[in-house]
Amino acid sequence: MFYRRAGIRHTSYRSERRLWPLPFDRGLVAAVVVLLLVAPLVVERLYLIGYLMPWIIWSTAALGLNFLMGGAGQIHLGYGAIIAIGAYASTHLARAGVPFEIAALGGGLASAVIGSAFGATALRVKGLYLAMATLAMQSVVDFLITHVPWISGGGQATLTVPPARFLGADLRVDLAAYYVALSVCAVVTLFVLNVGRSSFGRALAAVREKDYAAAVIGVDPFRYKLLAFWVSSFIGGVAGAVLAFCYYRAISPDQFHLDLSIQLVAMVIVGGLGSVLGPFFGAALILFAPILLNQAVGALAAAFGLGISADLRAHLPLVLYGALIMGFLLAEPLGLAKIYDNVRKYFLVWPFRHAPR
Amino acid sequence: MKRRTFLTAAGAAMVGMQFPIRLASAQEKVIRFAMPQDFTRVYTFVTVEYSQGQRDYISMVNAKGGVNGYQILADVTDHANDLPRALEAYERAKAQGALLVDPLSTPVARALVPRATADKINLITAFSGRSDAADGETFPFVFPMSPNYWTQAGLLIDFFRQQDGDLKGKKICFVHIDTPFGKEPIPVLEALAAKQGFTVQAFPYTPPGNDQSAIWPQVRRAKPDWVVFWGAGVGQTVALTEAIRNGIPMNRVSSSVWLSESDMDVVGRAQAAGVIKLEPCASGRSPKLIQDIIKTVIEPGKGAGDKAKVGTAYYNYGVMMAALMVEGVRKAFEKAPNGPIDGPWLNAGLTSISNFEAEGLIPPTTVTTTDHQGGGRCRIARWDGAKFAPATDWFSANQDVVWAEIKKSTDAFKASGK
Repeated sequence: MFYRRAGIRHTSYRSERRLWPLPFDRGLVAAVVVLLLVAPLVVERLYLIGYLMPWIIWSTAALGLNFLMGGAGQIHLGYGAIIAIGAYASTHLARAGVPFEIAALGGGLASAVIGSAFGATALRVKGLYLAMATLAMQSVVDFLITHVPWISGGGQATLTVPPARFLGADLRVDLAAYYVALSVCAVVTLFVLNVGRSSFGRALAAVREKDYAAAVIGVDPFRYKLLAFWVSSFIGGVAGAVLAFCYYRAISPDQFHLDLSIQLVAMVIVGGLGSVLGPFFGAALILFAPILLNQAVGALAAAFGLGISADLRAHLPLVLYGALIMGFLLAEPLGLAKIYDNVRKYFLVWPFRHAPR
Repeated sequence: MKRRTFLTAAGAAMVGMQFPIRLASAQEKVIRFAMPQDFTRVYTFVTVEYSQGQRDYISMVNAKGGVNGYQILADVTDHANDLPRALEAYERAKAQGALLVDPLSTPVARALVPRATADKINLITAFSGRSDAADGETFPFVFPMSPNYWTQAGLLIDFFRQQDGDLKGKKICFVHIDTPFGKEPIPVLEALAAKQGFTVQAFPYTPPGNDQSAIWPQVRRAKPDWVVFWGAGVGQTVALTEAIRNGIPMNRVSSSVWLSESDMDVVGRAQAAGVIKLEPCASGRSPKLIQDIIKTVIEPGKGAGDKAKVGTAYYNYGVMMAALMVEGVRKAFEKAPNGPIDGPWLNAGLTSISNFEAEGLIPPTTVTTTDHQGGGRCRIARWDGAKFAPATDWFSANQDVVWAEIKKSTDAFKASGK
């Protein structure tokens, strides 16, 4: 049902390798794109600024992290610092008079350079040791931002983002900011999708599975690990610039602490390591489950007149949130994207139980 | 079939995204205060008591008929000190027609400044947020309405001067958490040191400050005349414990407004006797306002939380801030009885609060369009083993140095964002 494969014949490699071979998938993607494009015109401002905007920006960042963690198998616990470098570098560039288009790329470049420098440790250490090395990067960057007033913006440690324009559109207008964030997200998504079917993507997958084995078959782990860090950090840096200019508009060091890194890692893992769809699901769950659970508990308490204390009222959603994440991971350890994939596969062969193979 | 599925799915998604937001309409005679605060992450040490005080005071105002027939609606939610959540809460508050937002979190308050200014919603940043928001001309919609950290440092130094007569040649050790918040008082301390001839030695500890054992022996060896420790939450009790362990006389040890009865329980009530803190409002249950709350709200069983917490330092901070907000509403009705009831309307009320004392709970506070700090008055209180006993009357000091620092900071703010 839905995902009909009848009548699809590939007569060339090109058509066989296209991104969405099934018409239904293409339709679904088109529908989501159209929905996202018309969203600002139909939904209320609260949902645009409170939900869609952070979802798109965090998804972009999670895509960048997933490229590294899911694509190349290198763990990174300092991705918040990467985003911070992008945000600060682009803001300082913009304050120096550089237009946003170049400042955002500059932010990405700064993140890529610094991120790869720290990523170089990945050439010597793996797994938990790499986790520690990237954690150290988070601390070093946090410390530098906080302790260099020139970077953090003086005693109040808050840097106001200057008014900027993207191709003539004022980024202080929410509509423009939304479309800029959306287009950056679209470009990153298309890039990540396409890398998956290129030689670069296959080399990364080889390094992910076993770097010795990759070296044996002629894939240079040194080069590809470094490239993975470079690309992932660049995406993170650009996401940081978008975060600063389109969403926060005033940045301070505590926005980019370890909490953010852990949040992003959670998005990637809950969403599905290595999947392109995963970061979108993961970002939605991690960002909005606490908010919605909070409102649900509040509404229930009000509706039934439950006299629960403010303390319990605040912590109950956290308990439910934890249970929700555990539940999802127990049900499907490969993440939310895999749950969608299971549903899709079910319909793909419906009414049969299995695909003939 | 295929097209129909698409259309149904698209239609369902559209409907799903259109949850209507209920607006508090003018006919309902409700004035909405949004209080998204951090109940679960960083500010847990203060939020529960602070929010309880705020809600109990507002319950009392409502029980007595509200203001001008209007009920005050306090919308309390948890933002967990997480910016996306706080921004969502802020946008929701704005959509629901809230006149003010009180996030009680420095990172959140700092991030909300540009939005609140653009949206003309009053942002309450009591004991948090930007210290330079005291300058109402630069930050017309940001209201600390409480002594900022520069003022607090200035007041402590003046108290030391009152005690010792003259600070020339004295040594003051400043032990602080190594964050922008912790480093904030240093410029004021240094300016006062240059003026009054004492020396300041700063000892930063790494956040969150649960291990300060390396710092305090150095403080002891420095032989300070006075010690000021500056942090929040766990850092405060650890600092005090270490100060006691290193034998520093408690009556020479002091801190900001962030010291409470529950901290004393952690440190040991008897051991901490003598330690000095700043009181922006009276603590305990004796003030008339707290008695009123007990009579009209707590005794009928309508209190917002644990009865034992009524009258603690942070509970009273909450009452203080709620009283100032409600006084702002009263003044706003005096100025424009017919509204329209919106952000600028409340702004006009808040900026005409004059010599408000909350029936003896707080120092005489005057908020103007230029001074959003409210005069910068506090008193010094000493822990006597059972309660914080006032050691001075309400006073203000060194405001020239503080305002020089405020101006320096607002100039930098004005230069940025351009």
